[in-house]
Amino acid sequence: MRLAPSRPVTAVAEDGRAGRAPALSTAGAGAAVDNGSAGARSGATGASARAKSGAHREAALYHALAGRGAGDGRSLAELRKAALEAAAAAELPVWRRSGFWTTSLQGLKLEELDAGAQPSNPGTVPEVVARTLPERARAGRIVQSANTVMAVELDGELERRGVILCSLEDAFRDHHELVAPYFSRRLTIDRHKLEALNAALWSGGVFLYVPPGTVVEDPFEVVYAIERAGVAQYGRTLVLGAPNSEFRVHEYDLGEDFDEDGQSLHAGAFELYLQQGARCRLAQVQDWGSGEVFDVSTRFVGVGRDAYCHWLPSLLGGRLVRQHLELAVSEPGGEMAFRGLFFTEEHEHLDAFAVDLHETGPSGGDVHWRGAATGESRASFEGLIQIDPGAQQTHTYLQIHSMMLSPKARLDAIPSVLVSSDDVSASHGGTVGELDEAAIFYMQSRGLDRPTAVRVIVEGFFEPLITELEDEPLQELVRAKVARKLAAAREDIEAYATSR
Amino acid sequence: MADLEIRNLHVRIEEHEILKGVDLDVSRGEIHALMGPNGSGKSTLASTLMGHPAYEITEGSITFRGEDITEQEPHERAKAGLFLAFQYPVAIPGVSVANFLRMAINAKRSGTDTQSGTGQEPITVKEFRNQLQHAVELLDVDRAFTSRHLNDGFSGGEKKRAEILQMAMLRPDVAILDETDSGLDIDALRTVAEGVQRLHDEQGLGALIITHYQRILHHVRPQFVHIMLDGRIVLEGGVELVERLEREGYDHLRQEFGASEAGAVAAGDGSG
Ligand SMILES: Nc1ncnc2c1ncn2[C@@H]1O[C@H](COP(=O)(O)OP(=O)(O)O)[C@@H](O)[C@H]1O
Ligand SMILES: [Mg+2]
Repeated sequence: MRLAPSRPVTAVAEDGRAGRAPALSTAGAGAAVDNGSAGARSGATGASARAKSGAHREAALYHALAGRGAGDGRSLAELRKAALEAAAAAELPVWRRSGFWTTSLQGLKLEELDAGAQPSNPGTVPEVVARTLPERARAGRIVQSANTVMAVELDGELERRGVILCSLEDAFRDHHELVAPYFSRRLTIDRHKLEALNAALWSGGVFLYVPPGTVVEDPFEVVYAIERAGVAQYGRTLVLGAPNSEFRVHEYDLGEDFDEDGQSLHAGAFELYLQQGARCRLAQVQDWGSGEVFDVSTRFVGVGRDAYCHWLPSLLGGRLVRQHLELAVSEPGGEMAFRGLFFTEEHEHLDAFAVDLHETGPSGGDVHWRGAATGESRASFEGLIQIDPGAQQTHTYLQIHSMMLSPKARLDAIPSVLVSSDDVSASHGGTVGELDEAAIFYMQSRGLDRPTAVRVIVEGFFEPLITELEDEPLQELVRAKVARKLAAAREDIEAYATSR
Repeated sequence: MADLEIRNLHVRIEEHEILKGVDLDVSRGEIHALMGPNGSGKSTLASTLMGHPAYEITEGSITFRGEDITEQEPHERAKAGLFLAFQYPVAIPGVSVANFLRMAINAKRSGTDTQSGTGQEPITVKEFRNQLQHAVELLDVDRAFTSRHLNDGFSGGEKKRAEILQMAMLRPDVAILDETDSGLDIDALRTVAEGVQRLHDEQGLGALIITHYQRILHHVRPQFVHIMLDGRIVLEGGVELVERLEREGYDHLRQEFGASEAGAVAAGDGSG
C-alpha cells in the first residue's frame, strides 16, 4: 500500500514538545480546545472539567477522569441517587471537535429503550455469543445479556486460590471490602446523560479479582450481549489485579444481527486497576452486528507501580459508537502498550478518544492504532499523549495508521501531545494509505484474484496488531471479522479502485 | 505451436503507442533473451503479457498454450502457467513470504473461478515444507527469510531472490524475468542465474530473460536472442547476437534499424 509518512494527520502539538507550564499554556491552548475537553464539553450537564483533587492541573491540560465514585466514601445508593439527578438534568450528549466532526446521540430514542430488559432466552446463552466465542481453554466466563448476568463459570482450582468472578451486584454484597475502594474510583458519573444513567441504573455487571501473585494463563472472558431492539444495557465492569498477579481479560461486546426496527443502547463503564507489579493483557472485541446499536462507553485502566498493561480493543461494528478510553500510568515504573484497531462499514459512525496518560514517572507508553473505513462510514480517532507535571522520565510514542477503502467513507486520525514535564520524550507519527494498485497487480500475477489481493492487503495492514493479541483463537476471530467486512464491501472497494 | 505466442502486439499507454507490432514465441524448455536499451518497451511487453490493466492492447493477440489470453485477468494467466519476475517487486506488508506462497500455490490449485485451475486439494503442510526447503536451498537464502514480510524492507538483492524463490515454488511453464539481473552484485547474480538455469533443467521452465546487460547471459545460456528497439523486435538470432551487441553497442543498431536518435533519447528517460 502507499503509505505516505504523516500525510494529513492533523498534528496539534508537534513531536516531543516539552516545556514548563508557561510554555505549555500557549502550546497547548488550542489543543485543549480541540482535543482535550471531550469530557468537559460533553453533554449539557453544565458540569465543567474538574481537577483531580490534590493535584493542580494547568487549565490547558486534558482533564483526566477524576473519580467521584465510591472511592470518596459514598455508598452505592448515594451514588445512584446523585447520578439519577445528574441524568435528569442532562440532555443527550453531543461531542464536537475541529474538522467539522460531530458525534451526536440526540437521535437516540431513549424513551423507547428498556433499562430493565431481560435476556431473550433466560435459560440459554445468546446465539450470538455461542457462535462467536471460540472453543478454547479459559479461566472463567461471565455473560450478561441485556441487564442480567445469566452465566458465570470459574475454574474450580482458581476459585480455591481466591480468584473471584461474579456479577458486580453480588460482589457489592459478598466482597464489599474489595469492591468499595475501587468502584468508580476514576470514573465520573455526571459528564453526560448516558454516563449518569449507567451509574444510576446499572444492574448485573462484572467483577473480577485476581489475588496477589496469582498467575493465570488462560483468559477470563467477559461478555456483554444485546439480542434485540429496545434494550438499554448499562454495563459495568470492575477488574482488580492484586500485586504481582498476571492474567488476561477478553471482553466481547456482541450484538445479534436483529433486523426489526428500533434501536438498542450499550452504555458501558469499565475499570481495571493493576496494583504493584501486576501484569494484564486486556483485549476487547466489539461487534454490535447489523442492528441499530449505539454504544457510548468509558473505559479506564490504571497501571500501578512497576505494573504493566497491554490493551487492545478491536472496534468492529456498531451503528454509532463513542469510546472514551484512558490508560493511565499512575505510579512510578508503570509501563503500558495501548493498541487498537477499528474497521467501519456502511453507515457506521465511530468516535474513539484514547488517552495515554502519565501521572508520574518514570513511566513508559507505546500507543499504536490502525483503522480502515468502507462504505459511507465515519471514523474519528483522537489519540492524546498527556504527561502531567512531575511525570519525569516518561517515554512514550503514539502512531496511527489509517486506510481508506471507499470514496464516501471518512476517516480522521488526530494525534496530539500535551507535555508538562521537561525530562521526557513524547512523539507521534502515522500514515494514511489507500489500496495500492501495484500491490494488487503483483499478487494477481501470482494467481490471487482481485478480492483476495485486497483482503491480503487489508489483513496485512492490521496484522501487526492482530499478531500482538498473542492468542490464536482471538486472532482468528478478529481476522474473520475483518474478512467478513471486506467481503461485504467488495463492490464498494471495486468501484473506488476503478474511480481512481 | 509455441506455448506462448505473441502476434503483432500493439500496446498503448496514456495515448502513447509503446509497442508497435511485436511477434515472439516462447515454449517450455526454451531460454530466450530479450535485450534492448532503456525505454525500448521491454517492461511494457512484460506487464502486458501478465495483463496489467494500464496497458491497452490496440492490435494483435497473445496466445498461451492454445488459448487466447489477450483479455484474461492477470490471476487467470498466472493459473494457466505464466509468471512474471518483476523489475521492481512490490512490498506486501504484514504477509510473510511463506504464507503468501501458500496462498498462491493454493490459488493455482483450486481453480474455483476459472477452468485453468486443476481443482486440486490445498497443498499439505509437509509437501509445502519440502518444496520450500528445496527452493530455499536453490536460492541460497536463510530459512528465516521466508518468515519475513514479502519484499517489506528487503534489499534489492533480496527482492530479486524472492522473485525467483516464488518462481521455483509456483513452477510456471513460461516465466518472464524483467531485469532480474539489475542491481545484483556478482554473487547474487550468479545464484539467481544458476537458479533459473536449474529450474529450466529440472522443471523444463521456459524463460524470457529481459536485460540490457550481457552479464546474466554468462551464467544462463539462451538459445534465442531478440533485440528490441523503439517498440519493435529488430533483430533475432542465437547467442552470437549478444557478442555482437557487446562489440558494437545499441547505437550501431539504431543507425542500422533507423530508430531515431531523438526518440531513443526520449525513451531513455523512462522507467528503464
Ligand atoms: N506507466 C507509464 N506511463 C507512461 N509512460 C510509460 C509508462 N510505462 C512506460 N512508459 C513509457 O514507455 C516506454 C517504454 O518503457 P519500458 O517498457 O519501461 O521500457 P524498458 O523496460 O525497455 O526500459 C518509455 O518511453 C516509458 O517512458
Ligand atoms: Mg524495464
